[in-house]
Amino acid sequence: MLAVQVLINALVLGCLYACIAIGFSLVWGVLNVINLIHGSFIVLGAYLAWGAYQWAHISPWYALLFAAPLFFGFGYLLQRLLLNRVISAPVLVTLTLTFGLDLILNNAMIYYFKADYRKLTLSPPTGSISLFDVVVPVDRLIATASALALTGLLYLLLRRSKVGRAIVAVRLDRDAAVLMGVDVKSIYAVAFGLGAALAGCAGVLMALIFPISPLTSSAYLGKAFVVCVLGGLGSVSGALAGGLLLALVEGIGSVYLGPAHATTLSFVLLIVFLVARPQGLLGRKGFE
Amino acid sequence: MPEMQHEILHLSNVSRNFGGLRALRDVSISVSKGEVLGLIGPNGAGKTTLVNTVCGVTPASAGVVTFDGRDITRVKTYQAARLGLSRTFQIVQPFAEFSALDNVAAAALFSQPGESWKSARLEARTHLAFVGLEAQADQCAATLTLAMRKRLELAKALAMKPKLLFLDEVNAGLNSIEVERATKLIHQLAARGITIVMIEHLMKVVLNVCTRIAVLHNGELIADGAPRDVIKNQAVVDAYLGQQYAQRNAARG
Repeated sequence: MLAVQVLINALVLGCLYACIAIGFSLVWGVLNVINLIHGSFIVLGAYLAWGAYQWAHISPWYALLFAAPLFFGFGYLLQRLLLNRVISAPVLVTLTLTFGLDLILNNAMIYYFKADYRKLTLSPPTGSISLFDVVVPVDRLIATASALALTGLLYLLLRRSKVGRAIVAVRLDRDAAVLMGVDVKSIYAVAFGLGAALAGCAGVLMALIFPISPLTSSAYLGKAFVVCVLGGLGSVSGALAGGLLLALVEGIGSVYLGPAHATTLSFVLLIVFLVARPQGLLGRKGFE
Repeated sequence: MPEMQHEILHLSNVSRNFGGLRALRDVSISVSKGEVLGLIGPNGAGKTTLVNTVCGVTPASAGVVTFDGRDITRVKTYQAARLGLSRTFQIVQPFAEFSALDNVAAAALFSQPGESWKSARLEARTHLAFVGLEAQADQCAATLTLAMRKRLELAKALAMKPKLLFLDEVNAGLNSIEVERATKLIHQLAARGITIVMIEHLMKVVLNVCTRIAVLHNGELIADGAPRDVIKNQAVVDAYLGQQYAQRNAARG
């Protein structure tokens, strides 16, 4: 029964990991920017959910609805006003810029929210479902379903909508896309906005499960990075595969080696992948 | 003059420098609606640069470009595409991982306002059929032969509903049967009323389809006129066609 519980936990957590990583993967794949603010976006999203619940009693499910446009706008403007200026510079320049922006955002959060760990506790609690000996908390289950829904929405957007197709086209061949009439700078901004929106929404979902503190941002960023490397950069399915694999490895690691070594195991896996299969499980060029 | 009203593209004193190199010098030329203009000249004469300058890829260093009554000298490349300037490439570059159909659909989608992916894909089928690629519609673009990819480029350019179409060496690397097929396609395009400016090295094709020829040499326009006159022009013979071509041509009458 323990094995089944581990598997279910991995499934639940894996979808959440995919949701954490997918915006990061999108920005990296399309803009070739390693977006170091991603972790802080997630934490900010968690604070948004926490604040909305604490002060206005807005349930996190509704918080998703306004977190998405809010973060999209924030990301869009950031790209338009700052990142687009250095987008054609070598990758180290954009990395430095996002590093600096992350320092600002993260320290602002420490200043305003303090570094204390907070917890969003729903009242009344949603309880949990148990089937035989396998127990899954309901809030976690809903968070997972929401994460899957967000992932699916992104997939449909990239596949069916005009802007989504343009994002994929820019990813495949920037110059050819321009000649077909794609305004690359605005597509970059939309892609970055989408990445931010997904981070914000992931943060809202994380608030239900994990403690909230500005200090957790680097952990989220690390997870996003590992998921991208495992699953392969540049696809929705890759992020899902990477998320599930990471959650499974962590789950097995914490049961059989102890929780202290779960992260160790995942980073060992990261190194193995970087050496043996750098394109990841499902890595390919077009983001869809 | 009535001719002036039908003018679609006009370059006046256009120059383009790359550092110290003057790739285009004071080029003035105008293209009328419905014309098929052949742009010829030796390698490095500035033919592709001229197309790039009009399309906004390498904007003019000096001079003015007007298209359809609008100054487009400083227009960005993606805007030029939306205005109805479309081009094929000497080196074909489809989205390798898209199917042939999706490549054409993407061209329609991004250049036309109000187009949806669904409608663009429907429309793409007719363009693929026009160039004879309907059987390859769902094939990944990377797997197409060179001749097919050149025709795919044409379908993509068509999907953009161009007012002016630049064809950059659509026949390069094709065998004679494929060239014949491509030439027929160009005739059909012209019959649809699309203005065409084509860069071409095969004089047979140029004389077959072009209503007018312009010759570039070292970035300068050295001749511009009816095909029959241009190929007899001494400067053109010296710079590009060569004495042998002129003699053979004279012998044929």
